[in-house]
Amino acid sequence: MKKAFVTIGLFFAVATGFSQEFDKRLTSARTAYASKDFSNARFAMTQMLGILDEAIAKEILKLLPTKLGAMDYKPKEDQLTGGSTGYAGGLFVNRFFGNDPKTASIEIVNNSPFITSINAFLNMPMIGMGDSDQKSVKVQGYKGILRKQVGTDDNKLNFELQIPFNNTLLTLKVNDTTENEITQFANAIPLLKLANVAQ
Amino acid sequence: MRIFSILVSAMLLSSGHTFAQFLNKLKQKAEQKAERALDEKLGLGQEQNNSTGNNQNTGGNSGATGGSSTRYGKSNPSNNVGGGLVSSPPDVGQNLLDAEAAYKKGTFGDARYSVQQAILGVELEIGNQLLKSLPDVIAGLKKDETQDEVSSNGYGWAGLTIMRKYRDDKDKQLTFTIANNAVWMASINAYMSMGGMAQQTNGQQNWKQIKYKGNKAIIEYSESSGYKLSVPIGQSSLLVFEGVNFKNEPDFMKAANEIDPDSIKKQLGEQ
Repeated sequence: MKKAFVTIGLFFAVATGFSQEFDKRLTSARTAYASKDFSNARFAMTQMLGILDEAIAKEILKLLPTKLGAMDYKPKEDQLTGGSTGYAGGLFVNRFFGNDPKTASIEIVNNSPFITSINAFLNMPMIGMGDSDQKSVKVQGYKGILRKQVGTDDNKLNFELQIPFNNTLLTLKVNDTTENEITQFANAIPLLKLANVAQ
Repeated sequence: MRIFSILVSAMLLSSGHTFAQFLNKLKQKAEQKAERALDEKLGLGQEQNNSTGNNQNTGGNSGATGGSSTRYGKSNPSNNVGGGLVSSPPDVGQNLLDAEAAYKKGTFGDARYSVQQAILGVELEIGNQLLKSLPDVIAGLKKDETQDEVSSNGYGWAGLTIMRKYRDDKDKQLTFTIANNAVWMASINAYMSMGGMAQQTNGQQNWKQIKYKGNKAIIEYSESSGYKLSVPIGQSSLLVFEGVNFKNEPDFMKAANEIDPDSIKKQLGEQ
């Protein structure tokens, strides 16, 4: 019972601290802007972006599955970075599953300046023509690219599925798998909810 | 096919927006060709060449496209009038209010959007402030205000660009750009610290490291584009001077020296 109270107390402490940081930056931004100190106003707002990216990343992690087939996720290896320290300026979330040789990972990149280039690439119709190792697929109504790779050491089949939606790119990688299996795993990820959180 | 895919993807990753524009143009050309073929088959109307030039003008003037195309005997009008778009920079105060409200509701995506709009607004104000502080005349070249540009992508640490052109009545021009881009700076600073590459002579020296008002800089020259001086300042900003039809390096550097980089550093919050 005592442990439960401590856990709940810690949760509220973290959430309150988070909110306090945002409020503090917001006050700095407003004060700096009012006194026409634009560079400091901008700096404070950039820090606000970082806090928001972290909040969005945590929401995304809550939506990701904790199990893919027989592979459990590894909570200690969950990664998230956001804002000005994040992946090329956007936010980055990574979750790992399973143990060698059967492993998987879900990577989400959001609001990165590079998403536009990747979207353009994925929409080029000539890409994949004549290449038997990749093809366009649809998962939950979203177009994606499925690529097949053969492991150099073990000759096992590995697959990678990339799905862009709005400002977000999801990459699902699974080792030692089949096309059917990776498609099933992809269908376990709530893409529509992710798109709504990450937009 | 795989090598083609890799080359294309590398090209796209380095110029996504440019390539998207190229794809649009390709699509337009294909559509025009298809229409022409259909018109000929049906013996309908006459096709004129459709020109799709774009005028990018920050003065808010209208852009006109010339020519028209014929589709089944009807012609599409070309635009000749219009006052452009009303200049409406984001309201920083309102966007901060919206961000606060969205954050309290837990809609972090909306909060993020509002903060980005606020950053955009502030960066546009920084840009306009910087432009006002620049000289009206440099080396006898007058500023061309119709070409002044301030652009921002709202990320706060990357993508604020301010540009001004100076020119005379003939063909001499100086373009001065201030770029605030942390991603570029990492590569430029690495480039600068490669002392071994700083002074290479292959008969004609086309670039070299120099000092510009106490800052390390690189000056380049090419027959087709003239002089270019790149000066990193602070942690994330870069000044770029591009001179066309300057008679020699000292002439170009005299013009560049009329800018005060310390004042620009201060306004950008750089150390």
